[in-house]
Amino acid sequence: MTSLTINGTPIDVAPGTTILDAARALGETIPTLCFDERQDPFGACRVCMVGVEGAPGPLPACTTQVREGMVVDTRDPTARRVADAVVELVLSELPEPPASHTELAAVARQLDVTDTRWPGRVHERDHDERHPYLALRHELCISCGRCVRACDEVQGTFALTATGRGFDANIAAGMDQGFQASACVSCGACADTCPTGAITEMSLLDLAPEPLHEVTT
Amino acid sequence: MSDARFDTTVTTTCGYCGVGCRLEAHARGGKIAAISPALDGPANLGHTCVKGRFAHQFTRSRERLTAPLIKENGEFRVATWEEAIDRVASELLRIKGQHGPDAIAGLASSRATNEDCFVMSRLMRAAIGTNNLDNCSRVCHSPTSYALRKSFGLSGATGSFADIDRADAAIIIGANPTAAHPVAGARIKQAALRGMKLVTIDPRRIELAEYGVLHLAPRPGTNAAVMLGLAHVVQRDGLIDRAFIESRTEGFEAASALMEDYTPADVERISGVPAADIERAAHIYAEAGEACLIWGLGVTEHKYGSEVVQLICNLALMTGKVGRPGSALLPLRGQNNVQGSSDMGALPDTYSDYRPVSDEATARAFEERWGVPLSREKGYTIPQMFDAAVAGDLKAMYIFGEDPAQTDPNTSHVIEALESLEFLVCQDIFETETTKYADVILPAAAFLEKQGTFTNAERRVQLVMPAIDPPGGAKTDFEILTTVSKALGHDMGYSDPEDVLAEIAALTPSFAGITYERLGRTGLQWPVAADGTDSPILYRERFELPGGKGRFATLPYRPPGSEATEEFPLILVTGRRLEHYNAGTMTRRTANIELLPNEVLEIHPDDAARLWISDGDLVSVRSPYGRIEVEARVTDRIEPGNVFTAFHFPEVRTNLLIGPSADVNTSCPEYKVMAVDVRPVSEEPARTPALAAGD
Repeated sequence: MTSLTINGTPIDVAPGTTILDAARALGETIPTLCFDERQDPFGACRVCMVGVEGAPGPLPACTTQVREGMVVDTRDPTARRVADAVVELVLSELPEPPASHTELAAVARQLDVTDTRWPGRVHERDHDERHPYLALRHELCISCGRCVRACDEVQGTFALTATGRGFDANIAAGMDQGFQASACVSCGACADTCPTGAITEMSLLDLAPEPLHEVTT
Repeated sequence: MSDARFDTTVTTTCGYCGVGCRLEAHARGGKIAAISPALDGPANLGHTCVKGRFAHQFTRSRERLTAPLIKENGEFRVATWEEAIDRVASELLRIKGQHGPDAIAGLASSRATNEDCFVMSRLMRAAIGTNNLDNCSRVCHSPTSYALRKSFGLSGATGSFADIDRADAAIIIGANPTAAHPVAGARIKQAALRGMKLVTIDPRRIELAEYGVLHLAPRPGTNAAVMLGLAHVVQRDGLIDRAFIESRTEGFEAASALMEDYTPADVERISGVPAADIERAAHIYAEAGEACLIWGLGVTEHKYGSEVVQLICNLALMTGKVGRPGSALLPLRGQNNVQGSSDMGALPDTYSDYRPVSDEATARAFEERWGVPLSREKGYTIPQMFDAAVAGDLKAMYIFGEDPAQTDPNTSHVIEALESLEFLVCQDIFETETTKYADVILPAAAFLEKQGTFTNAERRVQLVMPAIDPPGGAKTDFEILTTVSKALGHDMGYSDPEDVLAEIAALTPSFAGITYERLGRTGLQWPVAADGTDSPILYRERFELPGGKGRFATLPYRPPGSEATEEFPLILVTGRRLEHYNAGTMTRRTANIELLPNEVLEIHPDDAARLWISDGDLVSVRSPYGRIEVEARVTDRIEPGNVFTAFHFPEVRTNLLIGPSADVNTSCPEYKVMAVDVRPVSEEPARTPALAAGD
């Protein structure tokens, strides 16, 4: 077993455990965007950053394995600043706030990010509703890669692809010919993992989710 | 996590196939709004498929049966429940009075819960007094059940789906999991992508073949030769586990002598599989540290299907690859509860736990509990029921959740049987090909509308909970069957399905420790001891046979019941499509129909060219038993000489083509080998007069 301390609480975990899993075992919440327990940790979004004593800067909790004697602070101010900035940047590209049921909205609430300091270009509406069950709303894609990895690592069909670069980064089914004409087997694992509703179920589009800014608590 | 989009979320078990995915069913306004996979489902691990996730619209189809129907002057009219139940009870009592209880037979449903099937068995055995009871495992995995009991002792997978994750190699025989068991298929894919050596054996180049290291395409009906060839090589090359054979098995000497005869060269002559591939497959399996054997209906639905399963068991016994993590024998059970319906004793010859109806102690225990004398005589199997109906010996049938007029072989014979009955009651969620012949139709509930348990292909008993109410006047099978029983004078006295489970546990040793509370979110794998300990892996130390030893089977290859002839030169193999489920009654009433709107006949480009058939042409498929028309799909996924189609569409009555040939031990029909003649439809009229002229 490896012994470490998270937010002052000691814990013993199996060697090879990630900081994220260790923290969750203690009941600590670390927000994540590109993480899905069904997939290998990816470490792309930088929302799960934590402070580790002695490290030159914050480390991603989802891909960093615990080490003996590690001292982790999930509330480290630098780590929090990085995570907040990431979520602000992600939100800044969306034409509308994410629906309240989505993971992105939940993460924004958790980090208390309501607005962005960097307003600018937002994605234009681009919907693909050719498939009877799966709807693509490209403007909500944040390129976290979860759908692509769900298709690869959960289903094993490799129907989804990351496309474009920078602001134009997005996803495509097959060669962008839509789900049905691609290799897609309509399992819906992509919609299940999508944290923004960029891939969602057609039947759920009618359920009119309220946008984030209308939520009052 | 609560989600404002939904009113309620209920965790239940999928009703689509034997994988047993745990699902979160989200409802809004009394309808299913969405279904997502439960992250802690042991069989699905947070995944599900196009059927389990999306195909729920059928529950709110306008075609759902919402009131009982009674046939009068050839037409159905809406009736009240009182009228319908009264009619069912009075007719069954009349026939029982005139012709005795054995003039009545019942079919339980492998889509219904364990509790429903148990109640159905009590209805037939106690309320009516006959063992004429069967379920559709007769026509799918009865050979598996028979063979596993012969070789190892218990009628179920020896391990779990989790063993696939731990295996170094796997052989899949006669199964197409990515279509018929998609979540298990995805799990196998992932294992193969991680490096598990996968060998696929199927007349078609199935999708998983692309993920494997070797694909063998035997001629339909020659699986036994391939299994014997693999055993030959394992033995010849010294890959047997001598210690295991000596301490844990019996019958090896005789089996071993027979294997000698099946050299790879001989097997190549019989099966068409190159000798070198037989050798390679045998080495992949036997040299792996841990290896799984996985099979489906491509093994069982043959004249000697049960024997092939025994030969599969031989392979595991001679290499010692059974009873430990990563080395499992996994039959992919077809429907969601085909394991459970048989476990529950919805069979003509056994009570729950496969205890013979002739067993005095078992029969007494049931008699004591149910308070009525029970027959010690075996009842009719499904094919025997239809034969008896045509012969005039069977007068009435109670068919619940099954559509034999579409799914059973030799369709014309089935229809003749149904027409011969004096009284037929069907209990279903839709009108089907079978309900056309009913006198009374009782509207039932779908899996999302009822409570109980399903048992998946890894013997895992899992809870089923209602997410919505049955539509209109439809009732759950539990409610209908207990009401009918009461009307027949046998009050079962249950107040809900949980009561039934308690009785099952009291009467069934392998269910002894099962309660709702213990099943919890992840279920239990039978046998479950009284203290609640379950059994993910069977036969760790002993087999469940006298002496505790596994039994080798000494069985030769024998040719299938149907072979290509000059008149019927192609071999038809039937199977499943990803988008649809069995008779299609549910999936055809969802948008899955947009994903796969019609059936096709797969045919190799060489055969297509020879027969002047182009992709998309309408073709006629004729066997000695019937003729259908279907669109051709030219593809090299299938070997020359074979054609393939499924049976999901009533427009294409595929089973009209299938004959009465069946497994020698279990009468499971030979759906997988039928000699047919295929030609473009436009040619047919010209041919008919030629025949009349004495062709």
